[in-house]
Amino acid sequence: MLLSRAASFLAPLAIRPNRLLPHFTCAPCALFSSSSDLEEKIKVKGDEIRQLKETGLSKSDLAPHITELLSLKSSLSTLSSPPPPPIVDPGQAELRQARVDKLKLIEEGGARPFDYSFDSNVSAEDLHSKFEGKLDSGEDDPEEFNVSIAGRIMVRRVFGKLAFFSLQDETGQIQLQFDKKLLNEADADAFKNLKAWTDSGDIIGVTGTMRRTDKGELTINCRTWNMLTKAILPLPDKFHGLTDVNKRYRQRHVDLIVNPDVKATFRARAMITSSIRRQLDERGYLEIETPVLQSTPGGAEAKPFETFHNSLSMNLTLRIATELYLKRLIVGGFHRVYEIGRIFRNEGLSTRHNPEFTSIELYQAYADYNDMMELTEDMVCNIVEQLHKSETVQYGEDTISFAKPWRRVTMNDIVKEHMGFDFETLDQDDLTSLAIAKEKAIEAGVPNVADLKSVGYVLNQCFEELCESKIVQPTFVTDYPTDVSPLSKPHRSKKHTVERFELFATGRELANSFSELTDPLDQRERFEAQAAKKAAGDEEACGVDEEFLTALEQGMPPTGGLGIGIDRLVMLLTNSQSIRDVIAFPLLKPETDN
Amino acid sequence: MSEPESKNAMKKRLKAEAAAKKKAEKEAAKKAKEASEPAKAKKFVAGGDDDLDPTQYYSNRVNAIQKMEKSGLNPYPHKFHVSHRVPDFITEFANLEDGARDESKTVTVAGRINSVRGQGKLYFYDLKGDGEFVQIMSDLKTYESEEGFGEIHRSLKRGDIIGCTGFPGKSKTGQLSIFPTSMILLSPCLHMLPKKVGERDAITDQETRYRQRYLDLICNNDNRKIFEIRAKVISYIRRFLDERNFLEVETPSLCLLPGGATAKPFKTFHNDLSQEMFMRIAPELPLKKLIIGGLERVYEIGRNYRNEGIDLTHNPEFTTCEFYQAYADYEDLMQMTEEMVSGMVKQVCGSYVIQFSPKPGAPEVEVDFTPPFKRISMISGLEEVMKIKLPALDDPNCDKKLAAILKERNLECVPPHTTARLLDELVGEYLEDNIVNPTFITEHPEIMSPLAKYHRSKKFLTERFELFVAGRELCNAYTELNNPAVQRERFLEQAKFNADGDDEAMCLDESFVVALEHGLPPTGGWGLGIDRLTMFLSNKNNIKEVLLFPAMKPNLEEMAILAANKPKEDAVDLNAKKFPACPPTVFKLAGEDEDLGSEHGMKQLDAALVGNTFLKGGSPSAEDAKLFKQMEKMPREAVEWFGNVKGWWFSVAQFSEGVRGMWK
Repeated sequence: MLLSRAASFLAPLAIRPNRLLPHFTCAPCALFSSSSDLEEKIKVKGDEIRQLKETGLSKSDLAPHITELLSLKSSLSTLSSPPPPPIVDPGQAELRQARVDKLKLIEEGGARPFDYSFDSNVSAEDLHSKFEGKLDSGEDDPEEFNVSIAGRIMVRRVFGKLAFFSLQDETGQIQLQFDKKLLNEADADAFKNLKAWTDSGDIIGVTGTMRRTDKGELTINCRTWNMLTKAILPLPDKFHGLTDVNKRYRQRHVDLIVNPDVKATFRARAMITSSIRRQLDERGYLEIETPVLQSTPGGAEAKPFETFHNSLSMNLTLRIATELYLKRLIVGGFHRVYEIGRIFRNEGLSTRHNPEFTSIELYQAYADYNDMMELTEDMVCNIVEQLHKSETVQYGEDTISFAKPWRRVTMNDIVKEHMGFDFETLDQDDLTSLAIAKEKAIEAGVPNVADLKSVGYVLNQCFEELCESKIVQPTFVTDYPTDVSPLSKPHRSKKHTVERFELFATGRELANSFSELTDPLDQRERFEAQAAKKAAGDEEACGVDEEFLTALEQGMPPTGGLGIGIDRLVMLLTNSQSIRDVIAFPLLKPETDN
Repeated sequence: MSEPESKNAMKKRLKAEAAAKKKAEKEAAKKAKEASEPAKAKKFVAGGDDDLDPTQYYSNRVNAIQKMEKSGLNPYPHKFHVSHRVPDFITEFANLEDGARDESKTVTVAGRINSVRGQGKLYFYDLKGDGEFVQIMSDLKTYESEEGFGEIHRSLKRGDIIGCTGFPGKSKTGQLSIFPTSMILLSPCLHMLPKKVGERDAITDQETRYRQRYLDLICNNDNRKIFEIRAKVISYIRRFLDERNFLEVETPSLCLLPGGATAKPFKTFHNDLSQEMFMRIAPELPLKKLIIGGLERVYEIGRNYRNEGIDLTHNPEFTTCEFYQAYADYEDLMQMTEEMVSGMVKQVCGSYVIQFSPKPGAPEVEVDFTPPFKRISMISGLEEVMKIKLPALDDPNCDKKLAAILKERNLECVPPHTTARLLDELVGEYLEDNIVNPTFITEHPEIMSPLAKYHRSKKFLTERFELFVAGRELCNAYTELNNPAVQRERFLEQAKFNADGDDEAMCLDESFVVALEHGLPPTGGWGLGIDRLTMFLSNKNNIKEVLLFPAMKPNLEEMAILAANKPKEDAVDLNAKKFPACPPTVFKLAGEDEDLGSEHGMKQLDAALVGNTFLKGGSPSAEDAKLFKQMEKMPREAVEWFGNVKGWWFSVAQFSEGVRGMWK
């Protein structure tokens, strides 16, 4: 068992010196070793140009020199982030070169700097739990359990005949002890090589037995070790860490190595999506995949990404929602479907917006928005319970309680609470109502109401401006104006209102749901209203989707639909303030813009 | 059958009808009344209007629905509580005796009417819900009111969605049925519904089936099963990996550089960043970055996009699963693949042996997934089948010799004739096409596998395998290349192919090489095409059958709709972008001063680079270094404007200032 595959392949060594590029063997590596070096060059160049000028050189002959000077000058300002060959900052160059030199050393020593595989039989976490409360300080594991484990060297301390490393695998860290005498039993050069070849950041595999040091720390007393991967670049400075936020996102792999919390966030994310899947599968939902590339965008109001299919010679857009396709499947006789997938919107970047994000949309035949509210409560509460073993979650300075039932309030009522004006007192069929609504909104300090076309839009604007950011605890805001909800069914009892809710918490929208509009004639009118908005220059309005209308004409059962933004849910449940903290590789402005 | 009405025409007509109705509501009502008179005069027989032409049928239906609304009934109710889904109803009451009714139980069931028959006091409906059928047997005696009974049965049509409240029971002939006390229309079907394949008026046209998938699903029950199989395949893989402590992650679909595979990408444009972007062609590189970060077992199931033609096995977007496992190699992954694929086939199909028809019209073959799968090492396998010795891969005339072998055997290879492409052709002809049972083709040459690790003992080969079934690739996996120097070299080699005009060669992703320099542990990586696997398990040889909404060429009608919906401003035409603004960069080319900051100057440079020694594989010169230095301030977009310049620039950019300074 301990004879790992890595060890068994040590014999037939293929040294590949021809594979080493000049890049690795020629010093220096960085563009410039320091800024003073560069300033010197600028000065020299400047003097050269002055001299050339005096010789009466023509302007065009002088131009290349001036360009060169300018480029030197601009290098000065961007010294810390040189253009494309983004190798390392100058301080790292020497460290890197030292490590590159070791590659050859390792190969000459008869080992591989980049090995093929390693069989481990335990994780760091396993070891800590297995030996919790066992072994006294200074005691060796009497059962001599043979441990085989691989990971990255995070801390490396070498003394004369003894070395202590801290090894990190996916689950955590464990201390390694290398005793020259013990290590050399299997291979006479093992300890010497350990000292000469390893640096912190390298990935190694070790075998050994457990002991507790005199200081009480659980430790693997190593008998053998293997270089698995030599790290060419050093880890970021232990004390300053990786604190530059942008660099953290850009080099997520380094972020994950040095910040254990980041791993926890992505584990939570996986758990959340997998819990949603399991809960829906148990309720008889079928997971479906619908197209990302579509000829007409629909299902939401947003600006799409455009692309072009060469062989079809056809413009396509990336989906802005999964709604319309999923509803067609409900028409087709699937009664409960869902899709968890990527949605794309061509909008600016912010701590709440990434151009691609993950949503779940689900549709259930014979259900309405009331059923969807219950489903949302159940699903989210189960996740919270599973993740936090509690009904409350800390988010920033707020404690969010998910205890059921959550508050349900109509949009009109919550606006009334914040504004003191009751929009329901307006008779929307009376043409003067719009003017009154606007007047009240302006009085309350709501911006951008002058151009709004109906009372519904004014109400919605008041809600967004006055209420949204103030909703901290999970709240279903229900019964939206028809004008802002082109795909929802008219309310069964209230005029100008639809059966729709959005879930808010910590001032952010988390979910959106309606009793789906199933009447094709009504849907056509709503689409036409959208098309009119689009024609008037609203780039986010959708057009008339004839194919979808034809599908509705075949009869769609009464259906409840629900969409949840997975990224925002993960943010809330992992106490992350930015969407970039919950997306492994968020889109960032290109580096040169910094 | 008459020509179906065009959508625009229909829209106009609907509008006109609505207007006419407003103007002369009374007359319209009268008219509608008259229209229904003749039906009343005759004895009503359910399903009697099946012979109407579709347009007439549609307008009758719209009128009837509007009439219903006017009389205060809602044809689109908000909610119907369902106590039993059809399959649950069948399981729960399957054991009733023939002729028995259980009036102690009231059930509510909903679904779509698949067929209607009956008259007078007795009507039968076949109701379809969740893919299964149940009979509704409605007699006057059981129904709540005589008036309601007449009204509902007169209004329901085949295709309508209805809700039904009643008792479970069985007819005398043993047919499990619902005996309703009340029924309600939940959503009318305005069109005459096509019938099942094999019956009159069925949709057999594949175009219609794919375009209007919902009709296909309504009428052809088998199709539903394909998508249930698809869901099972995906959930089997998830469970398999979750049980082995893999973490499911999501990596970007939009990226600045397409990487991880060789394919033409889709281009798009991010408005706010004013940045050209690509849709991913594979998630490989970011997933490996996560392994570097210490997530030791990760997987992603998701969509990839390739800008290529549509055929029986290719759709522009397709779903794959890729997983990466630290400290594993390709041998480990072959074992895992055997275990996963065979286990899945057994679970989904009930047996290791399945029937599969590889091409439309081709006879079915038996495919046996019993593990272990056969293994063929690529080069030695080829030599064995072709009974010749292939030229050594480091032979400078390797390409010529391979081309000669191809010619000898009347095989064609699309240029450029690189070693990789020539070999690929031979493998396709002599190995892949002969495979029926799952077989691993292993140990591909390095030149065919820029991301796979060089073999631990065989020169010029990699530790890679592909799993083929019935002549098709299903999985691709390798021990990952984690040596950054070799990776950079492989990328450069690919860049050279790029310059040779192979637009499917890989781009250099410098950020990935830097990530490798932080240390990627020994890792096994694996990818599988979900669509193809689903094709095998559902015995379909067209990828469109396993996609709910496959990409289709737009038909004329759609083109018109697209044109009508086109936004006022022209969409960003990616092919007609303007050369970016650049600082003036004067450079002497063949004795002439050229401004590289202009499109013209750059074009001249592009032409001049044709003879560049470095691009042709020779040593770089001081001239290269000088030119590069001058171009350092040029925007990336300008540098990438012309192919030769791009290839050259990427190659030179690999070397540091110090190294470039030493060039002679």
